[in-house]
Amino acid sequence: MAGRIYSKAFPFSVMALVAVLAGTIVTMAYPLVRPEMHVKVAGLAPLGPLELAGRDVYQREGCVNCHTQTVRPLKSEVVRYKGNRAQEPTGRYSLAGEFAYDHPFLWGSKRTGPDLAFEGWIKPSRDWHAAHYADPRALVARSNMPAYAFLAKEQLDAAELQAHMRALRKVGVPYTDEDLAAVPAAVAGKTAMDGLVAYTLSLGKAVNRAAPGGIDVELDAPNPLAASVEAVVKGKALFETNGCGACHGDEAHGQEGVAPSLVDGEFLGVAGDLPDAAYFAMIKGGSDVKPALGRPGVPDGGMQAYGADLSDEDVWSIVAWLRNQKAHEAAEHPEHEDAEHGKKE
Amino acid sequence: MNDYRYDHQTVQGFILSAIFWGVVGILIGLLISVQLWAPAANFAPYLTYGRLRAVHTNGLAFGLGVGAIFGLSYWIVMRLCKRPLLFPRLARVQLWLFNVGIALAALSLMAGQTQSLEYAELEWPLDIAIVVLWVMFAVNVFGTIAKRNEQQMYVSLWYVIATVIAVAVLYLVNNLSIPAGWDKSYHLFAGVNSANVQWWYGHNAVGFVFTTPILAMFYYFLPKATGLPIFSHRLSIVAFWSLVFAYLWTGAHHLVYTPLPDWIQTLAIVFTLFLIAPSWGSVVNGYYTVGQDWTKMRSNYLTKFFVLGITFYGLQTVQGPTQALRVVSQLIHYTDWVPGHVHMGTMGWVTMVTAASIYHVIPRIYGTEIYSERIANVHFWLVLVGQLLFSITMWITGIRQGWMWKATDAEGRLVYRNFMETVTGNYPYWHTRTLAGIIFTVGMLFFVTNVLMTIRKGRALERGASGAPAPAAA
Repeated sequence: MAGRIYSKAFPFSVMALVAVLAGTIVTMAYPLVRPEMHVKVAGLAPLGPLELAGRDVYQREGCVNCHTQTVRPLKSEVVRYKGNRAQEPTGRYSLAGEFAYDHPFLWGSKRTGPDLAFEGWIKPSRDWHAAHYADPRALVARSNMPAYAFLAKEQLDAAELQAHMRALRKVGVPYTDEDLAAVPAAVAGKTAMDGLVAYTLSLGKAVNRAAPGGIDVELDAPNPLAASVEAVVKGKALFETNGCGACHGDEAHGQEGVAPSLVDGEFLGVAGDLPDAAYFAMIKGGSDVKPALGRPGVPDGGMQAYGADLSDEDVWSIVAWLRNQKAHEAAEHPEHEDAEHGKKE
Repeated sequence: MNDYRYDHQTVQGFILSAIFWGVVGILIGLLISVQLWAPAANFAPYLTYGRLRAVHTNGLAFGLGVGAIFGLSYWIVMRLCKRPLLFPRLARVQLWLFNVGIALAALSLMAGQTQSLEYAELEWPLDIAIVVLWVMFAVNVFGTIAKRNEQQMYVSLWYVIATVIAVAVLYLVNNLSIPAGWDKSYHLFAGVNSANVQWWYGHNAVGFVFTTPILAMFYYFLPKATGLPIFSHRLSIVAFWSLVFAYLWTGAHHLVYTPLPDWIQTLAIVFTLFLIAPSWGSVVNGYYTVGQDWTKMRSNYLTKFFVLGITFYGLQTVQGPTQALRVVSQLIHYTDWVPGHVHMGTMGWVTMVTAASIYHVIPRIYGTEIYSERIANVHFWLVLVGQLLFSITMWITGIRQGWMWKATDAEGRLVYRNFMETVTGNYPYWHTRTLAGIIFTVGMLFFVTNVLMTIRKGRALERGASGAPAPAAA
């Protein structure tokens, strides 16, 4: 190593180039031709026009600076991001084959906010996301996310989107001429906000991560914990720790345009309450249970299924708290009003 | 000596440009540090955290970092080749193009034009401008070295050559994309390939922007400032070749536990651990060099910048490989630990050594002394305190949040199910980070003042020496 090479610039530079290229070839170039780097999950489809427009917005606004899109195969992470609901073990964390059309990848390097890889399963509510993007702190107290209300004023441009799809076709995303022709109709009257919400709801959907279906709805079943004070206390805690308040409000009063009240006289958009077992079924099975209950609720409502996360006892506890809360409201409310009147008079 | 006058003005131009973009980048860093705990400080759409973070990183890596690297590399190349630049006017054109490029880069990032690849955010028209800039730099470096008047090439020249070659390869490959309009493009690679190519680039941008050119400065300016010869030439040879060989294998340690195939991750982790050896080769060489006469720490104000700089480099290159280990990565990856790590390298190692090199160069352009050693000392201590407060705060909160994400009870359920529970605990640490940033910024303003006053003093001396009446201030 000693000696002459350090007085000969050209051979020295060639040697430096060779040193740099060794690792480059083995760890960067060689993987490009490896089959395990070119896998696709079954049925993987490119994003639709609205979702692609949303992905462009996601890139433009630098969402990737604060949100990752890979659920790692770590136990706590699989549980946090609801991968444990997937019936196939391989669906529990992010898979290489999900990202075959991602130009570029958007896995990110920092989780200032939560991972979004499975967001389409975790929080399937269009309304919640639209309201949250417009004003994050209205739904999540102390959140530090910037507000993106301006996106709702920005109309999508079909011609621009078609140009983007043509470029993606060049790098290997299989958009057809029909796909391009369908763009104007798909984005007519839609805003950047609609696109971003649609993209968010598409995340993680290439793999089935739905909770096990087939919740048996037995409306006659009584709440075994109805009379338990411990269950009410536990239910309140579970309501908080599972983030139920993020949509339904901390006191379950609901939030306008996001999710309904759980303590008023309506249930699933129809006046008149249903028995405890209906609440139990909705928490366990999510919005999919609505037909079995015979009530419409919010169109494409986004109640997620907690059957994989919570034991039956936990769910009954939450129902017990909700019932207690409702009884409390009914009893307190008129009194409260009287007191107000008393003050004014 | 007059042969050098034009080139020295170019070097000074790069240094002043670097300082200007450095101040801009640091102030934006302060703003985004506030945005993390005060979301009302986001001014949509142009001044939101999502857009400004790239302005901060690009402004400092390319504006401050590469600007200083251009200027100081030219200085080193001229001294070690014992001749002026081969193409002096090309270097001057490069200086102007550099400033126009960085200004447009900042504006385009604020407009939301981004490739979404870290440290390669700039869209394709600016990528082309950067390639042109780098070709100009390469032509002048290689041309001047080819026509050098000193046959033996000193260590610093090796590092400059490696920088020019490696950055060219990295930048060209990772920025391969298909334009979808003048302000938008899509990465040529998809999914796992996009990730692997990006982090091969991303980690080596750290290697060949924040390491090799800074080592070139360290090996040149430390002996110059202290008058002490480098301790071991043989050690610097071993450290050089093993560093430039091993660095390129390590990018995938940024992708531990992602869907990237395990063999690529494992290979990267192994080479990352090996990288401790060449890094510490330079650390040991630096310590033993100053160890020949530790009184230089007192008698020469620049010595402490180099010693602390190489110390942070040493800490950085042990911490980095530790983070690559799977068991550590699963705890601290994606948390604030990582910005803490990065800022020890940039605020501690890069800024310390670059500032000391500039303190050495600027007075020599005018044949004078630094304006104030006292100001330089204040600058040193503020930057040191600011950097330590920044990094230590981020390490603590990173571990704290990482534990909260992982905590499960006996039944395997999460203890902190609501993500916000883990975020709110960051706020006090994020407040402290802003305070650390303010301390660091004030330190850097002392540095800027010192440089500008030295130039003013030098110009006054020149006017006096030429006997001409002082021209009206431009």
